[in-house]
Amino acid sequence: MAVPVVELQHVTKCFAKVVANKDVSLSVNEGEVVALLGENGAGKSTIMKILYGLYGLDEGKILIRGKEVTVKNPADAMAQGIAMIQQHFSLVPTHTATENIILGNVHGFIPLKDYTEKLEKIAAEYGFEVPMDKPVGELAVGQQQKIEILKALYINTNVLIMDEPTAVLTPQESDNLMTFIKDFTAKGNSVIFITHKMKEVMAVADRIVVMRNGVVVDEVRRESTSEQELARLMIGQEIVPPERTEEAISENEVLTLENVSLKEKHNAKALQHVSFAIHEGEIFGIAGVSGNGQDDLCDVICGLKKPTEGRILLRGEDVTNSSIRSRNGRGIGYVPVDRYRDAMVMDMNLAENVLLKRCFDKNWFNKGFIRRKMLNEYTNRLIEKHRVKANDYADMAGGLSGGNQQKVVLGREVDLAGNLLVLNQPTRGLDMGAVDRIHHVIMEEKKNKKAVLLISTELTEIFEMCDRIAVMHDGEIMGIYRNGELTTQEIGLLMAGVSLDGEAKGE
Amino acid sequence: MKTKNNVLLYNIAAVLVGLVISALLLLFMKVNPLSVCGQAFSKIVTDGYNLGEILVKATPLIFTSLAFAFTYNANLFNIGAQGQFTMGAIIAVALSLGLQSVLPTVILLIVVLIGSFAGGAVVGGLIGGAKAKFGANEFLVSMMSTYVITNFMDYLLRTSLQETKAEYMQTDAISSSAYLPNIIPGTRVHFGFIIAVAAAVGVWVLLNKTNLGFQIRAVGKNRFAAQLAGISTGRIYIISFMIAGGLAGMAGLTEINGVQHMLLRDFNASIGSYGIGIAILANGNPLGCIFASILFGFLNVMGTTMGRLPGLNIPASIIELIEGIVMICVIISYAVRGNVENKKKKALMRKAGV
Amino acid sequence: MINILTRAIMMSTPLLLGALAEVFAERTGMMICAIEGIFLMGAWGGFVGTYLTGSMAVGLLLAVALGMTMAALYAFVTVTLGQQQVVTGTAMNILAVGLCTYFQRVLFGVPTTPLQINTLPNIEIPLLSKIPVIGEIFFCQNILTYFAYLLIPVAIFVLYKTALGLAIRSCGENPVAVDVAGLSVNKIRFLTVLTAGGIGGLAGSFYTVGYLGMFSSNVIGGRGWIAFAICFLGNWSPKGAILGTVAFGLADALSIYFRTGSTIVPTELIIALPYILTILLTIFRSNFNVPAKLGIPYKKES
Repeated sequence: MAVPVVELQHVTKCFAKVVANKDVSLSVNEGEVVALLGENGAGKSTIMKILYGLYGLDEGKILIRGKEVTVKNPADAMAQGIAMIQQHFSLVPTHTATENIILGNVHGFIPLKDYTEKLEKIAAEYGFEVPMDKPVGELAVGQQQKIEILKALYINTNVLIMDEPTAVLTPQESDNLMTFIKDFTAKGNSVIFITHKMKEVMAVADRIVVMRNGVVVDEVRRESTSEQELARLMIGQEIVPPERTEEAISENEVLTLENVSLKEKHNAKALQHVSFAIHEGEIFGIAGVSGNGQDDLCDVICGLKKPTEGRILLRGEDVTNSSIRSRNGRGIGYVPVDRYRDAMVMDMNLAENVLLKRCFDKNWFNKGFIRRKMLNEYTNRLIEKHRVKANDYADMAGGLSGGNQQKVVLGREVDLAGNLLVLNQPTRGLDMGAVDRIHHVIMEEKKNKKAVLLISTELTEIFEMCDRIAVMHDGEIMGIYRNGELTTQEIGLLMAGVSLDGEAKGE
Repeated sequence: MKTKNNVLLYNIAAVLVGLVISALLLLFMKVNPLSVCGQAFSKIVTDGYNLGEILVKATPLIFTSLAFAFTYNANLFNIGAQGQFTMGAIIAVALSLGLQSVLPTVILLIVVLIGSFAGGAVVGGLIGGAKAKFGANEFLVSMMSTYVITNFMDYLLRTSLQETKAEYMQTDAISSSAYLPNIIPGTRVHFGFIIAVAAAVGVWVLLNKTNLGFQIRAVGKNRFAAQLAGISTGRIYIISFMIAGGLAGMAGLTEINGVQHMLLRDFNASIGSYGIGIAILANGNPLGCIFASILFGFLNVMGTTMGRLPGLNIPASIIELIEGIVMICVIISYAVRGNVENKKKKALMRKAGV
Repeated sequence: MINILTRAIMMSTPLLLGALAEVFAERTGMMICAIEGIFLMGAWGGFVGTYLTGSMAVGLLLAVALGMTMAALYAFVTVTLGQQQVVTGTAMNILAVGLCTYFQRVLFGVPTTPLQINTLPNIEIPLLSKIPVIGEIFFCQNILTYFAYLLIPVAIFVLYKTALGLAIRSCGENPVAVDVAGLSVNKIRFLTVLTAGGIGGLAGSFYTVGYLGMFSSNVIGGRGWIAFAICFLGNWSPKGAILGTVAFGLADALSIYFRTGSTIVPTELIIALPYILTILLTIFRSNFNVPAKLGIPYKKES
């Protein structure tokens, strides 16, 4: 048998908060596509960052073509022909594509034009069309990814690591990426493909390494496995999705958006003529590739941004121009997409995090002084009710796992959301147990007659939870459908901005 | 609770290391550090007046360190405590001179207290406002404001506030009826020290027990989350800077009415930057500011005492040297503590994990 | 008038050097908040070196060396240990005052008459200095000023046309990208701060060796911070730094002019003018080119 291009032997890596990898061994052969499959937090990215030299390893060794090497930093890895595309692209947004690609691999004076021409040739080989002299911050994510790939091609990579490369792509763009991977490996190169999506694995991988909780649980060849088996390996247990009850949608509109548009300095089409209504007891889903206006939609609903056009009604009352504070007071609960940034204060304890959204509610204060006892007891009840793994109210928010943090946020918002609950990718990056719990809470709220706006990039979640589905592309609603009316193929087209009667919109 | 004690432990160790390094630097003066420090120390502790001086020196430092610590809790950098103090001092001396013959002592002092607070608060409010309304860099604006106010003071000292003799750039002395009362006979310790301690305790209560303090801390630790909770970050910026400026301004009262009894050029020209160092030493904790200020007051007196030791020729500027070194040691200790704790946690994870 | 402009150019020299140093450092994401202290140590080093050896070259070298030493300590605490830049800078500025006054005493005791050194001579550039007006203003200056002239094109070339400049600019915008590209963020930051410290030290020495001929602990008087401010005002570009510097140099020269001449305008206002200008521009300028990761330490793993 041929010597593997890359081999990791018994690698262990600890962080202060978690054991990220425990005794991980895996290998990649020439011309092979290996998929690293696992849930978020399974340790896939960490092991690859070790191979790429971004993290040091605590135990174990790395072999390249049979020889043991030390990879202290990415420069060492690149010298061995290894390149890695991070999940969050590592591009300098204010620099041009050329500057981004040559960064770290040039010396002395830079004749920028020569490099641009050279890069355009490489791009043409793979049929990439990328503007080389525009700041990359102005380009779409799909193009940014191509620049990341060009970075690897520029240094003649033969082992390319891609971390969740399809997370930001439409289904069609993903297909193009798969074609690239096949072309690339046909030339004798290898690809390591990190993902949590089983479909992609089945489409492109030769061999699949499944990880869970920092260890390799199994290694299978694509021909001899199935999505069901992979799911079982990944999760380690069967998950029962919450049951969705089919019933007539109430007539009472809770949230109404009338022709809402948002124009911003850097994005004149942040939101374009968005209109929809969410009713009592309805879960209204928004599907779409992230970055297509979902965050702006949340911002105008919760009051962070004022729409440049249109009206927002809450139970018939115009709230278009009311403040965040007054909307919070009117029973809008909001779980933002970036919990670390927008929902929690990681350096405060859980009680204070619960208080955060209540600091304008007089009941929690006595002449301006915080009612600590009441607050602490309430927080303890919330922890118990939502099965948060924490000692008590005094635990620091930053010390909890992502899933438990999210349960605290959701618990807090649910109690505040008398009318409407806005959820922006509430299960992103969480383990299956937490996802399950959060889905049950959402269903509970539906039964409590609340209106729920659920934004998700995971189609499975959308299909599982929602009564009606809207698809967003480039700040525009491509259509609103009852759950069941759309196939995955159709929803993919809508997500790419192609309306179902065939013509492309918004381009 | 345990981590808090740890911080204190590391802080004390860092201060000691800093003092040892400073003492070693005395070798350059060809003197025996041990004997010099011993002599100076015994001079201080055996003399009630010198002991009192520690508190006298600590008083304005408590205010200026609070001025930095307070905004630090809102994750803002108030580098302009010096200017806010100067404004407080200008108002204190102007009010005292203008009203000392009209108002009885207690009422006069209350008026001056409010006035000096207001003077600093207005300056602080303008800086906070620039941050809130225009997104200006508060660090730069507050720093530059000090130079502007210092020049404003110089102008006043040359013109409307200049002494009747019109000889030096200084004001007339205020009358003894406008003095802050002495609280320890035989020393210069005045009532201002009690005001300072009360202010520190008050700031601690405000930050930790009240709604406003909670909002300030929330903005400081995560302004995005605070904003989504409906808290107006701009309002918090302005309020924080006003309170911080007011605190620094109150040092104007204690220094004019408690110690110097007049305003002159280069008046206490470095208490602003010391305040920053002290606030860091205290890790932004208002109560810690009291003790750290007393430590700096002690170093200050120690430096002066050393400078006065006969035949040794040690410059009084040894204070700056010691304080600079101590501050850097403390800053390094924060990094060391972080590293040690991180390593400990990692080792624990490895033990549990493998 | 020519006198004022000549003086403006002269007074601009240290500000320009300091501002260029700060621009480079801040482009890597590092504010050098210790700049005031670096200036002061440079001023002292220039003075002491020149006084003790009689050679200005030694003085200038010592100024560079002390500036770099300060910068090294600053970079160790802020880059290597990842501590707060503002706070570390404040501590170091106090330390600098202590260090130079203390060692001044160690070296010279308490002198009865103030210690003096000769200042750098003005060098007339052949031909160029003969151009009417312009020659007198620009080409009858001392060597530090010419060094500053030289540094301008070098700075622009390095920052925008070389691999080093690309790496420096990337460090301040997205250090992760630099790391992933196989370069060491902290190494780039450390070395840039170190170099900036050397230039800052040289800038500081201007006030003693190039101008006053003596030393006192308040010789810098906040001008280090002005260099810091110019970097902000110049929108983090070398060209902007030049414009900002000219304005400040002019104000500095004017204030000295007005202090000696009789005037209706309070001299204090003129002295305060550059600071007021800084505040106003900080508040009212709209397009900011601030490096995205300015002031944020880079840590690889937790």
